[in-house]
Amino acid sequence: MRRHLLLVSLLLLAIAGLALWRQSRLPRAIAITPTLTGQVEYCLTCHADLPEISQSHPVQTFGCVLCHGGEPLALDADLAHSTLRGGSNPSDLSVVEASCGGEKCHSGTPQVFRDHIQRVTTSVQATYAGAIAQVRYAFGAQPDLTARMGIYAIDGLTAFDPVQEISPAIQAFGLNCLFCHLSAQPMPSQEYDRWGGCAACHSPAPSRDDTTVHKLTTALPYTQCNKCHNRGNYSLADVQFHPRPDAPVDRLHDYYQPIAEFTRCEWTLDCADCHTRQEAMGDGHIYNNKKEIQYIRCRTCHGTLNSLPLTTTVSDPNDLALRMAFLDPVIDLKVGDTILVTDKGEPLWNIRVMPGIGNATPTYELFSKAAGQRFTFRPVMGSACQQDPDQQEARYCHECHATQR
Amino acid sequence: MPPRDNPLTRRSFLSLVLKGSLAGSALIGLGMLVRYLNFQSEESAPSQFDLGPASDFPLGSRLPVPQAQAVVLHTDQGFSAYSLVCPHLGCLVNLTSEGFACPCHGSRFLPDGSVRNGPASSPLTALRIDENADQHLILYLH
Repeated sequence: MRRHLLLVSLLLLAIAGLALWRQSRLPRAIAITPTLTGQVEYCLTCHADLPEISQSHPVQTFGCVLCHGGEPLALDADLAHSTLRGGSNPSDLSVVEASCGGEKCHSGTPQVFRDHIQRVTTSVQATYAGAIAQVRYAFGAQPDLTARMGIYAIDGLTAFDPVQEISPAIQAFGLNCLFCHLSAQPMPSQEYDRWGGCAACHSPAPSRDDTTVHKLTTALPYTQCNKCHNRGNYSLADVQFHPRPDAPVDRLHDYYQPIAEFTRCEWTLDCADCHTRQEAMGDGHIYNNKKEIQYIRCRTCHGTLNSLPLTTTVSDPNDLALRMAFLDPVIDLKVGDTILVTDKGEPLWNIRVMPGIGNATPTYELFSKAAGQRFTFRPVMGSACQQDPDQQEARYCHECHATQR
Repeated sequence: MPPRDNPLTRRSFLSLVLKGSLAGSALIGLGMLVRYLNFQSEESAPSQFDLGPASDFPLGSRLPVPQAQAVVLHTDQGFSAYSLVCPHLGCLVNLTSEGFACPCHGSRFLPDGSVRNGPASSPLTALRIDENADQHLILYLH
């Protein structure tokens, strides 16, 4: 009896000691109560060294849990992370509505094209509907190039399931070629490293040496786009992706594949300096392929022989252009400034008409969104260019303006 | 070998270990219980602030009160106060020469708290401010 008592007492001491040891290992809790939630969370106990993810999402206002999910009161890392949304990436399209959505956030309202999540989830970058339609048409699974299937079912598209396809080539496409849409895991090599969902474009790629940057931005360098684009070719002959064989060492050669022609502005500027939000993120409608949504042409900024590029004068303090310039303040845009605008009315907020003298041909100034570099350029009108205004595809401009490599 | 004067027998040693381990466990348990009972939850934010003498807020002044996330204005009409919490998403607005500006999403407000431009759609929240018998300004958040 006495021996049992001794064993029990020693066991009790061990348990108490273990509990004390575990308590002593817990970090000193750091609490914040974000303005938006009013609920205490202890995430900063371990993550106090993280920089603010963006000026628009300060931690004192948003906290961490509103976007990331997780257990706000847990001090144990495993428990705290057990209910994270999307793992390390709350913008993963499978959880993005819960993480980034909401009327005041990125679901917004369709009237002013602020329903970013609806737009992105129906975009060709997310549905891959264009590529799927092309391949299914090429191998006889559908009669035309109309988009019928997407990576997931949405807005009239049914979910593409390679296993259900009869053609071995389409099955191979499903196995070998679905690495670039916004829900896909990228290919394993480092040059393809990127997040999925919104973060595929708006966050720096995850690092392999545990130095991943906690950042959201609208200032997108071309290298962000090159995580998917300009990486090689898909071949219908063997239904494989063939990575580009060259190893470019400078921007000029990094931007395009060797056989492509391009003008100076196409490789000097970043993709996002010219291509618009609707082109990249969609406009909420299903398109059959990339070409249908991509509409920026050389003439959008340079005009034609007989017409200047379209412009608009910022008159409303609530103008979208001012909001975009606020998010990426590379330009001191203000009410009264005249900027370029696209055929669809999207403001090219980073391109401003410079004050002219009398009826002189205008000069435009462009501020690159990622680097903030200033460029000036003049329109075609009044120049020596005699290009037919009805022939404005890039290939016509490339005939005279292609850069030699 | 001659017996020692005060031998520690096996029985007395085990008894000592038993008592020691029980006492140790009790002490640790008691310490943790005391710590548990003394736990202080996060203090809730005060709902009113004594801002000190009204004379510290001269006519024409527009002074922030950081601890209350508010601003106090002294105009010809008297004292007034606004919350500096942006009604859009809750960031703290900054005082500017033209009124107030939200650093998060770009909303701007006129000096009287009304919206100059969005995305905020409602004005800065007006707060109650009184002068008490000691001529101190008392700011009420709710």
